[in-house]
Amino acid sequence: MKQLILMLTLLSISLAGFAQHKIEGKVKDVANEPVIGASVYPKGSTSIGTITDLDGRFSLEMPDGFDILVISCIGFETEEVDTKGKSEVFVTMHDDTKEMDEVVVIGYGTQRKGDVTSSVGSVKKENFVGGAIKDAGQMIQGKVAGLVVTNPSGDPTSGTQIALRGRTTINGASGDPLVLIDGVPGTLTTVAPEDIESVDVLKDGSAAAIYGSRGTNGVILITTKKSKGNNINEVEYSTYISTSVISKKLEVCDALDYISQIENGQRDVAWDKGYSTNWLSEITRIPFSHVHNLSFRGGNTKTNYALNLNYRSLQGIFIHSDNQKFQGRAEVNHSMFDDKLKFNVSIIGNQTNYSSTANGGSFNSYIYRQCLIHNPTEPVTNADGSWYENTGLFEYANPLALIYETDGEQDISQTIYSGSVVFNPIKSLTFKFLASYDKGSQYGGYYETTNHISTLRDGQNGFAGTGANTGYTKMSELTAQWSKKFKDHNVTVLGGYSYQKVQVSNEWIQNHDFPTDLYSYNNIGVGEALKDGKAAMGSDRWSTNLIGFFGRATYAYKDKYLLMAAIRHEEASQLAGTDNPWGTFPSVSAGWVLTKEGFMQDQTLFNNIKIRAGYGVTGSQPSASFLGVSLMTYGDYFYYNGRWIPSLVPTQNANKDIEWEEKHETNIGVDFSMFNDRFSGSIDLYDRTIKGLLYYYAVPSPPNLYTGTMANVGKMNNKGIEVLLAGTPFKKANFVWNTSVTYSTNKNKLKSLSNDLYETTSDYFVTGWIQEPIKTESHIVQIGETIGNFFGFKVVDVDDEGKWIYEDKDGNLVGYDEFDHSFENKKVIGNGLPKFYLGWTNQFAYKNWDASITQRGAFGFQIINVARMFYENLSRQDWNRLKSAYDPVFGKTQLNSACAEEFNSYYVEDGDYWKIDNVTIGYTFKNVARYIKSIRVYVSGNNLLTITGYKGIDPEVSVSGLNPGYDDRDKYPSTRSFVFGASFNF
Amino acid sequence: MKYKILAGAMILAAMSGTPACTELEDTNYHAIVGDGFQPTGEDLAALLASAYIPWRQTFLQWNGVARSQMLTADEDVIPARPNGWVDGGIYKRLHQHAWTSDEDNVVQGWNRTYVGINACNRVLYQLENGIDLGDQHDAIVSELKVLRASYYYILVDLFGNVPLITQFDVPDGYLPDQASRKEVYEFIVKEITDNIDNLSETVGGELYGRFNKWAAYALLAKMYLNAEVFSDGAHTEWEKCVEACDKIIESGKYALESKQSQCFITNNENSCESIFALVFDETYVTDWNAFDYHLYSLQPANQQTYNFESAPWGGVCAIPQYVDSFDPDDARLESTFIKGQQYTFSGDVLYCTLGSYSGQPLAYINEVPSIDESEEVHGYRWGKFEYATGITNRLSNDFPVFRYADVLLMKAEALLRNGKADDAAAIVTDVRRRNFTTNEAKATVTGDQLQAETCYKYGRADNTTTTTSDVSVIKYGRMLDELGWEFSQEGRRRQDMIRFGAFTTMDWFSHTASDATKNLFPIPNAQLLTNNKLKQNPGY
Repeated sequence: MKQLILMLTLLSISLAGFAQHKIEGKVKDVANEPVIGASVYPKGSTSIGTITDLDGRFSLEMPDGFDILVISCIGFETEEVDTKGKSEVFVTMHDDTKEMDEVVVIGYGTQRKGDVTSSVGSVKKENFVGGAIKDAGQMIQGKVAGLVVTNPSGDPTSGTQIALRGRTTINGASGDPLVLIDGVPGTLTTVAPEDIESVDVLKDGSAAAIYGSRGTNGVILITTKKSKGNNINEVEYSTYISTSVISKKLEVCDALDYISQIENGQRDVAWDKGYSTNWLSEITRIPFSHVHNLSFRGGNTKTNYALNLNYRSLQGIFIHSDNQKFQGRAEVNHSMFDDKLKFNVSIIGNQTNYSSTANGGSFNSYIYRQCLIHNPTEPVTNADGSWYENTGLFEYANPLALIYETDGEQDISQTIYSGSVVFNPIKSLTFKFLASYDKGSQYGGYYETTNHISTLRDGQNGFAGTGANTGYTKMSELTAQWSKKFKDHNVTVLGGYSYQKVQVSNEWIQNHDFPTDLYSYNNIGVGEALKDGKAAMGSDRWSTNLIGFFGRATYAYKDKYLLMAAIRHEEASQLAGTDNPWGTFPSVSAGWVLTKEGFMQDQTLFNNIKIRAGYGVTGSQPSASFLGVSLMTYGDYFYYNGRWIPSLVPTQNANKDIEWEEKHETNIGVDFSMFNDRFSGSIDLYDRTIKGLLYYYAVPSPPNLYTGTMANVGKMNNKGIEVLLAGTPFKKANFVWNTSVTYSTNKNKLKSLSNDLYETTSDYFVTGWIQEPIKTESHIVQIGETIGNFFGFKVVDVDDEGKWIYEDKDGNLVGYDEFDHSFENKKVIGNGLPKFYLGWTNQFAYKNWDASITQRGAFGFQIINVARMFYENLSRQDWNRLKSAYDPVFGKTQLNSACAEEFNSYYVEDGDYWKIDNVTIGYTFKNVARYIKSIRVYVSGNNLLTITGYKGIDPEVSVSGLNPGYDDRDKYPSTRSFVFGASFNF
Repeated sequence: MKYKILAGAMILAAMSGTPACTELEDTNYHAIVGDGFQPTGEDLAALLASAYIPWRQTFLQWNGVARSQMLTADEDVIPARPNGWVDGGIYKRLHQHAWTSDEDNVVQGWNRTYVGINACNRVLYQLENGIDLGDQHDAIVSELKVLRASYYYILVDLFGNVPLITQFDVPDGYLPDQASRKEVYEFIVKEITDNIDNLSETVGGELYGRFNKWAAYALLAKMYLNAEVFSDGAHTEWEKCVEACDKIIESGKYALESKQSQCFITNNENSCESIFALVFDETYVTDWNAFDYHLYSLQPANQQTYNFESAPWGGVCAIPQYVDSFDPDDARLESTFIKGQQYTFSGDVLYCTLGSYSGQPLAYINEVPSIDESEEVHGYRWGKFEYATGITNRLSNDFPVFRYADVLLMKAEALLRNGKADDAAAIVTDVRRRNFTTNEAKATVTGDQLQAETCYKYGRADNTTTTTSDVSVIKYGRMLDELGWEFSQEGRRRQDMIRFGAFTTMDWFSHTASDATKNLFPIPNAQLLTNNKLKQNPGY
């Protein structure tokens, strides 16, 4: 109704003008469909105009002196028609998808792709990875050169890991790229994948500097699906069902192996418990997941809305591993006063619920470990139906009991309210105020019954834990933009202020010794342990804020020479109390469109060549607050004068000099398209240096209170090349083939580790940790070397007894008993950072059929196979091990049981892999019925095939932090999934 | 124009909507920001606590000082067990003196001890800068200095050559110099003697678990007793050792318990023998592995013997040669070890649950095949400290670091070494008497006996190798035996063996004589990497 009034108002305004001649017309698109709601107005006039009706028709009185009619509509190129001497015009509008005019989302605004001077990767919904995907990260996996998305876990509650151009910070506030959903901070899971229109990635520092510290790891801009102004209403329903299997099983010994080992004298007869159990099969199931998405979009150019509801019910391959998620998004846009004032209101809601078999977590991966190490001759249950447990073994518990004797769930709610007001007092000036309020809360409970190992072995008599947290992120941003075109000069200036505040409070309670299992975790006060002072509870709260002022200017001359400069001045509360909490982050970039030059006008090969260069600084504040001041806390208890009092202890070595870590990045690139835009590509070279690297550096104690201090000590460099090539090798009416290749390299080097304070310390430190019993660092970080070097003993052979033969520090071969297992004898025995990544996407369309194949790989790196390190060792009898433990080592003989578990080069493997990651085949039925525009059905598979020499489950392991390539033995195994889906357009 | 006014109004409205537009959040909800915190006398107890707590942590937490002192010596061993205990070979390397500068006990022994020293320096700094304690001031400052000296006593024993740091407010980037073992020794002695007169003479009460004057004398006596070792031969102080012991003896404030086991009961805080104790309580001292001899030594089935909350996961046991050295009539043979058939709390027979003895009765025997293999039954288990029924994974017994029997035997050893064997023998006899109530004659030792050879049958003695060591190199071997019988499981055997020249010269169990450089542990590698003024100890 409101819309109608508005339309009438506008019509009456136009009628009020002094009529000269009346123009009628009809607007349609290339498919001959009427374009509804397009704006129609005389060029040069802002006060007169109309919009097209349901049939695409309009009627307008053209005032005197006006001949050119402008027809514009979101999603279409704006058309101009000369009406001189005409009373009726027919206009065909073209989709606004021309390569150079495509709009790319950049910081605090959009830019024509043709004007972009920095490295921006863009993926539209047509090119998203299909199938059963977890989040927006997986959707663009392999599609953006330089954006490394890894999907190391099969847990349905886990997300993808994202790293852009290598790691830029180790202890900065965030190691992840900034994710903005329509300008509002969020995560890759904030909106449903089905609700996403496009994802833009700001890769280099000149693009990201406008976001200051938040943009230091790159910026991912997610644009949700919007209402196209010409629609009255559009309804879309899509769904899929999927199942998955473990991508590879580790082969552990079975009961028959145990029996033959006993016969061979390799295992004591006592370990045969007389049964045959495949523990992994016992906890594995055929999961069934289903996902539904319903969207409504409608309205007109003045007022429109988009609603999206999404439900995902996901099951993991293990029992009690699941995730239910309900997501909703509603958005209303309204434009008034001749588009001088625009409002946007949007609400995003997320409800997540999953089972937990670990206190505060999702699926407890310790259960998976137990399946691997469990004696296959043990039964699952005793004759009386109770769980079979062997409480005498260390770190050993029946995995089925760990699942069925626990009860737990996590319940997470999030609501993001956001609104913006855009005010255009004059055409060249735009003010925007954006505010958002992101409120989240979580409640979780967990209980271990009296049949759980915690009671049977540890006497807990029932254990319960509950925890809750609540928090918010408030943000407000005010920007003013002025843009003007003087003849060939195009200038835009933007200025703004941003304020963001985060606050989180949480509390947790644990208790044990319950009179009954009946209450589970829902009556936690009933347990005795809290009363006895033997259980714990706690609460805390923290808050941070970030304040920034920023500005940007862009200048273009004849669309040929392009220039952009930006600056952000920012302070972060993490640095409160230090000498300088402010940081300044400038950037500048320039572009040259070669094809606009006169000398290029005669060639027809290239449609576009643009050379870009940029330099930008971004920064990162430390993740922890109060590093600059000394902190005291009440800690352990001490017996003083007959009673126990808490001690007052300092918690850290304070460092007043701590400051922003700065990333200085240079990016040079070229974009080109040729053969009538059939083939295009871009190549980028980058060089980024992180100065004042924040790290918890080892310091001598004494004099320091503790052996580590957070300090800006260090300099690191990342260099690389990124290539994107895309083309349409084949294009006929019935058949189209699109293909694209991404390639990226990253070379990392630690340049320095000293500052004025600790310049005398050594040129390396060791990091990463291998759990007990090995208990040593796995990686070394050394000046002049790359991050990710493995550091352990180098074995070259075994002797006749099956004992290791090492190469010592001097290159001599030394036997196991003589070898000094000391630090000096460790060597660099591999590196976990891939030298390059390759991605290849192919899309085919044949009549109503469509198909796509996404493949990708990583090359030139090694993996520490931790499962083999622990489970190929023969020194202990109480845990099961891999069948390969009995294979001859170095082709000679079995490893001697006197050799304890250790980290040596035998467990370092090449990790190179090539994956057929996703194959999707779909068929679209058009105009199926009166009310159904189209139906598409498809089948899809994810993580289908991996070509690799790696012996572990999946070579796609975590490459984050300082210990990349460490394939944790407890990792939830990755999965291969199969999908059947359909979508309906109404 | 009106738009511009409107725009200006909008900006103003937006700005005023965020009043704290450049103000940083600096409220800390979970810690006290030290810069604005001025401790007062009321905080004294909490500050003192922070200086004392590292003692119990460095001594008894996982791979702490007590392990460095015991698992490297001839009384205790952790062999590979059916439930593990290989742990990357650390216990075997400790047993065979093959440790490295990355070994966990080496790293922890340094780090946790310096946490204590740093805490003393910090509290001393706070006392110098503002906390008003009135007439208590000198006593507290002296107590902290003696406490700090006690941490250095640990370091001079384990590492020898360590940085001596006594300041809290050092300049940024300051790297301390390494002091020689002799300098560290002299520093400790000076600190104690300079401050001892200010210390309280009160026993128990608010001084329980703290350094009173008598605890300081006990520490001083320890320093003098070990002077030759700790000062690399520069000092020999037998007479001063006797004097320090006499101060305690003459004070009349301490006495021997009628039964040695009384020192180790769960509620031993009122023991008349205890001079300086680490205080534990299962509810309040909740550090992981705070004090867990019961879980550390016993087998899982023993949970039912004591109705422990948790099942033990034990591994450590007594070396058979050590057990064999006890006189069968010595009451300490019974009270020190858990041996023979094990029963539930209600008296039912317990069985092995692991390894090749599964299903057979759990009866501890004084045999251990080797460091590389053992079953549940192998080796007598630790039983000196009472294990309370129904206790958690943490014991509530207090751990005596210095006790009166130690003072008496220090005096005896000093007398013996100073040519007064008979006087020494009289004291040793006094200490032995309570252990030979069934055969009183055996309590008596003579000066000649004390100067005789050890009765510990040194030599490799596992299922792979048998050797015999020449025990004549150990002077006063019988005195070393006496210390072994009295102070089993008290975290000190290495120190005693070094003083008697036995630590690196003898073979035992799966250990073959090492070399003299193993009398010191290496400086942790991590410290060498961060402070290039530190030089590694010889031999590493």
